[in-house]
Amino acid sequence: MQEGTVLPAQQVNRDLLRSILDPPGWFWPVVALLGLIVLVAFGAAGYMINRGLGVTGMNRPVMWAFFLTNFVFWIGISHAGVMLSAILRLSKAEWRRPATRAAEVLTVFSLMTAVLMPLIHTGRPWRTIYWIYTAPFVPYDFARGIWPNVRSPLVWDPSAIFTYLTSSVLFVMVALLPDMAVLRDRTTGIPHRIYGMLAMGWEGNSRQWKFQIIAGILLSALILPVFVSVHSIVSWDFSMTVSVKSWHSTIFAPYFVIGAVHSGVSAVAFVLILLRQVYGWQNYIRHEHIDGLARLLMFVATAWFYFFFMEVIFGFYGREADEIALRSFQFTESPWNIWMMIFVGSTYFLPMAIWLVRPARRNLWIMSIACISVNIGMWLERFLIIIPGLARKQMFTFDWGTFRPSPVEIIIIFATFALVTMLMLLFSRVLPLIPLYDIKEGDILKTEIQIGRRTVPATFRED
Amino acid sequence: MVTNRINHKWGMVVDLDKCTGCQACVVACQSENNLPINTKDSFIQRRAYEWIRIERYWEGEYPNVKARFIPIMCQHCENAPCEPVCPVFATYHNDEGTNVQIYNRCIGTRYCANNCPYQVRFFNWWEPKWPKTLRNHLNTDVTVRSRGIMEKCSFCVQRIRRGELTVERQEGGKLDHKTMGERNVLPACVQACPTSALTFADQGDETGPVRKYFDDVNEHEHHGDRTTRGYRLLEEMATKPNVIYLKKVDQFPLTNGGNHGG
Amino acid sequence: MAANQAHNAGMWVFPRAEEVSGDMAAKSRAMPRPMVAAITVSAILLVLGIIGFVARAVDDGFTDHAPWGYYAAIFSFLLMVTGAAPLVALVFRFTKSHWRRPLSRVSELFALVGILNLLMFIPLMFVLPAINNPGAGEEAMELRRTIWFEVPIGAPHWWDALGVGFLAVLGLAILWLASVPDLAEARLTSGGMRRKFYSLMAGHWFGTKRQWEMQKAGLAVLGAFYFMFLIWVHFIISTDYGQSLIPGWKDSIFPVLYSLTGLQASLGLILIIMFIMRRWGGYQEYIGISLFWSASKILLGLSMLWVYHVFSFMITYWYGRLEVEQDILKYLFTQSYGGMFAANFFFSFVMPFFLLLWNPVRKTAWGPALAGVAVLIGALLFNLRIFVGAFNAGDVYQHALNGVPPAVWPDIWDIFMVVGGLGAAALIYLTGTRIFPLISVWEIKEGAMYQRMGTFIRGEYLILAKPE
Repeated sequence: MQEGTVLPAQQVNRDLLRSILDPPGWFWPVVALLGLIVLVAFGAAGYMINRGLGVTGMNRPVMWAFFLTNFVFWIGISHAGVMLSAILRLSKAEWRRPATRAAEVLTVFSLMTAVLMPLIHTGRPWRTIYWIYTAPFVPYDFARGIWPNVRSPLVWDPSAIFTYLTSSVLFVMVALLPDMAVLRDRTTGIPHRIYGMLAMGWEGNSRQWKFQIIAGILLSALILPVFVSVHSIVSWDFSMTVSVKSWHSTIFAPYFVIGAVHSGVSAVAFVLILLRQVYGWQNYIRHEHIDGLARLLMFVATAWFYFFFMEVIFGFYGREADEIALRSFQFTESPWNIWMMIFVGSTYFLPMAIWLVRPARRNLWIMSIACISVNIGMWLERFLIIIPGLARKQMFTFDWGTFRPSPVEIIIIFATFALVTMLMLLFSRVLPLIPLYDIKEGDILKTEIQIGRRTVPATFRED
Repeated sequence: MVTNRINHKWGMVVDLDKCTGCQACVVACQSENNLPINTKDSFIQRRAYEWIRIERYWEGEYPNVKARFIPIMCQHCENAPCEPVCPVFATYHNDEGTNVQIYNRCIGTRYCANNCPYQVRFFNWWEPKWPKTLRNHLNTDVTVRSRGIMEKCSFCVQRIRRGELTVERQEGGKLDHKTMGERNVLPACVQACPTSALTFADQGDETGPVRKYFDDVNEHEHHGDRTTRGYRLLEEMATKPNVIYLKKVDQFPLTNGGNHGG
Repeated sequence: MAANQAHNAGMWVFPRAEEVSGDMAAKSRAMPRPMVAAITVSAILLVLGIIGFVARAVDDGFTDHAPWGYYAAIFSFLLMVTGAAPLVALVFRFTKSHWRRPLSRVSELFALVGILNLLMFIPLMFVLPAINNPGAGEEAMELRRTIWFEVPIGAPHWWDALGVGFLAVLGLAILWLASVPDLAEARLTSGGMRRKFYSLMAGHWFGTKRQWEMQKAGLAVLGAFYFMFLIWVHFIISTDYGQSLIPGWKDSIFPVLYSLTGLQASLGLILIIMFIMRRWGGYQEYIGISLFWSASKILLGLSMLWVYHVFSFMITYWYGRLEVEQDILKYLFTQSYGGMFAANFFFSFVMPFFLLLWNPVRKTAWGPALAGVAVLIGALLFNLRIFVGAFNAGDVYQHALNGVPPAVWPDIWDIFMVVGGLGAAALIYLTGTRIFPLISVWEIKEGAMYQRMGTFIRGEYLILAKPE
């Protein structure tokens, strides 16, 4: 009945700290390889910044393309962390325990990666200092009277993203305190001092636990509105654009948020499967956890499909010539129609078919395929929103265009995936990606009750 | 600096009946405003700079076809969609009714270009270059834009300023509609147009050449009520452009009706 | 029921399984005076409603849709709330939330009102203007804007009727399936006509393992299907009778907002009923505070989602400065129905939000119920605003609103129809409570098995079992 055995605390420590205290041999070669990919991309970006944005495939109707697609994609991935940690923590779902830390860390790193995209997208990154005055600790340029235009969604954007970044870093740090203390006690020399500093004098007395729990719950509740606002504001970058018919849709905010949750939770499931395989955490990331994520994803995916359906049907609803032209480009002209089919199939129908079958949900290989498929689909979703809308903007048919990415863009896009993977791996080298104390707490609260002749798993409730 | 400037509200009227699609305006604009030379490559990449461009549409089916031309430049909308979306105020509306771009504020988000329904904003994808022989032709009154900057038609604001300076300083006159009207402030495209299809003047000037068209279009929302041939591009967007187009009067319309495909 | 007092002042209650059946049988047979009074009042309201309907039909006929705005509004309110109400039980059964056990029958019983919805929909079929414009002129459209893009045969009238009808059937199927074990039990404890009825309804239910498995699987499948179908019906009704009648209103979020308002209001209504049952109905031994505490968190979330969706609609329309969109905003949000929107906003968001923000309020019975009253009023105002607005927005074949039409206030027949609709729904529901036990006996018994008190280190805590 009960999956997984309750392990003694020492065993939990030993297993979960293996990635830090006893790293596997493949670690540095893999990091070096990923680092090489990232370096190549830095080279490509440097070349682009040196020569000008002309080296990309962007052109007059299609002024936003791969970089912005990738930006929205990574912002979307970053929504998993809060979705899982905060909502599942507030709803006291027991199966959240091993997933929270990985999700939160993925949030932080994917947000950082996402922020890189608009910076290089402008072509002259050093000028973006005038843009990010809304970021924390960046002073306003009072002296020269240069103010950001608060009416612009592009000013709302950095405000929301930096708030989210700050609060999710805080969220991770609060959750890390007890584990930092564990590491402090198991290291010597300089690492010991660094962990000691980060643990902020954690002793594990009941007063500290109480504050840590209260802080966790408060942050969960407070971060939820931030989380919703971030992707809503990203969507408003598009839906405030009156000239692009397919963007100017009232549903964009919730549609983007649910899409972000969809891709983010899939990404977390994939990361958990990877962690289980590479660090041998079979006892912690169990089939029931992946199964729980898959069942959550079934709901999220269907909700996403509903919003997608609304977005499309109200595109046709207007019976306006310009929007019909845009939609027929999107849905009927090759190669866009093929991408469209791949997108809908891989975002909804393929993974849904997998998740509906219980053995498939519990097969890690098949689950990985479903999760990757969702993310390919969600990347294409953003791409298929951004490009056709711009390529068929208004009825000036003389100005219609299309888009073809250049190698520079493709290299940079691929490297962002390497970058996030590398950062995650490096994080796992210094801090545990599965919360030690949360696992132990779950084990303590676990119990069983006897109903008739059967033993049923049960948990103690704290309220 | 001109001190006692009156508030102008500039406007342009484009008579499509007179436009022959000769592209003289395009060339004039090119040399007046320091636009880089459009090469074959830049057209193929769809990155040509044409602050004013002639769009060509075919009407009817071959062989029974007619070519239609429409010059499109920045419409200097009163309610410009490009303005609110810029995060750094690089584009704004000045008190003369024109939409101006501040080059050294622009950071290159290109949001304004996305939100422009007329697609008249141009991004400097490359550092602009001129052949050696053209080094000395650059207009000293106009900034040379570097890469990463958005640019667009300015209604030749440098010519307007020079007109004002001439009236006030050199001729010692007082700035008003009459004196400015006599100075005949002309953007390069208007000056170059061989058929006088383009007219540029102050809308505030009661007796000026553009006033009656603006009055007519502003007062009558429905095309049927208008006494002139005037209309604005994409009127349903309510951007209120300061450019008015006059409909083509076709003496010999196509018999098969024709479609407006591109 | 000693455990009740010992633990957290009725946070969770553990009814004794042996007592539940008999108690519930007695309660559903009883006819207390307040119940008689409530049934009488709702019957009188129903009569008023019929009078109003007949008078409206005689006065205005069915050719023009404009006079039927208030009728459509009350129809939509009932469809939205009673359609979404069974979902509350289905969703929380699906997530295996223990606290939902006392409310599942209250919520599923609303399926009975589905029949009323279908009946009320029939007149609306005649008033909906045709999709093809009979006099397509210069500026008007040949086909008006609808979601029926290629306009299949019978769309939208018959398709909408099919949707509403099928939803009612589906709801009744769920009600039957969820109550079959209780009906089988009631068959044993009652006599006469009741016994015959219960035997007929319970069929061959004997509570074998296979039957239980079938019942649970059936509820899960039907529940998922009901959820999706309800959202679909909300979508077609809200666009065909709301959005598409206002020229120029192209708003992809409206069906979502409509469904959300329905979910919010139905949860509110259920909380009100739970409060009444607990306070005056003698059910306090079945309904713990944990139900209000958990449900009110959901209600708080729904209220915040409601305002989020409203905001994301308004900012998109406001920012663009397009005239066609500004007119819609003025019509529905700031000018014509501005006052109504302000009230709607207050009741659907401000009041529930500031009430339920506080944990001490969420842990009472009255707080969530008061918020429930607010969201119910909010949903009624929402429907009046949107549907009366839609039915009086002028020529449906135009591209945009012609100026901002004035608001239309109800005459006496409209008021009769609105209260009549509410009365009819109440009458059906109250009659239903005399037939079906108001607490799902089998779920309560199941819950009593799954939760008990246990010692954890030094204190007594609740243990919740989570079976597969």
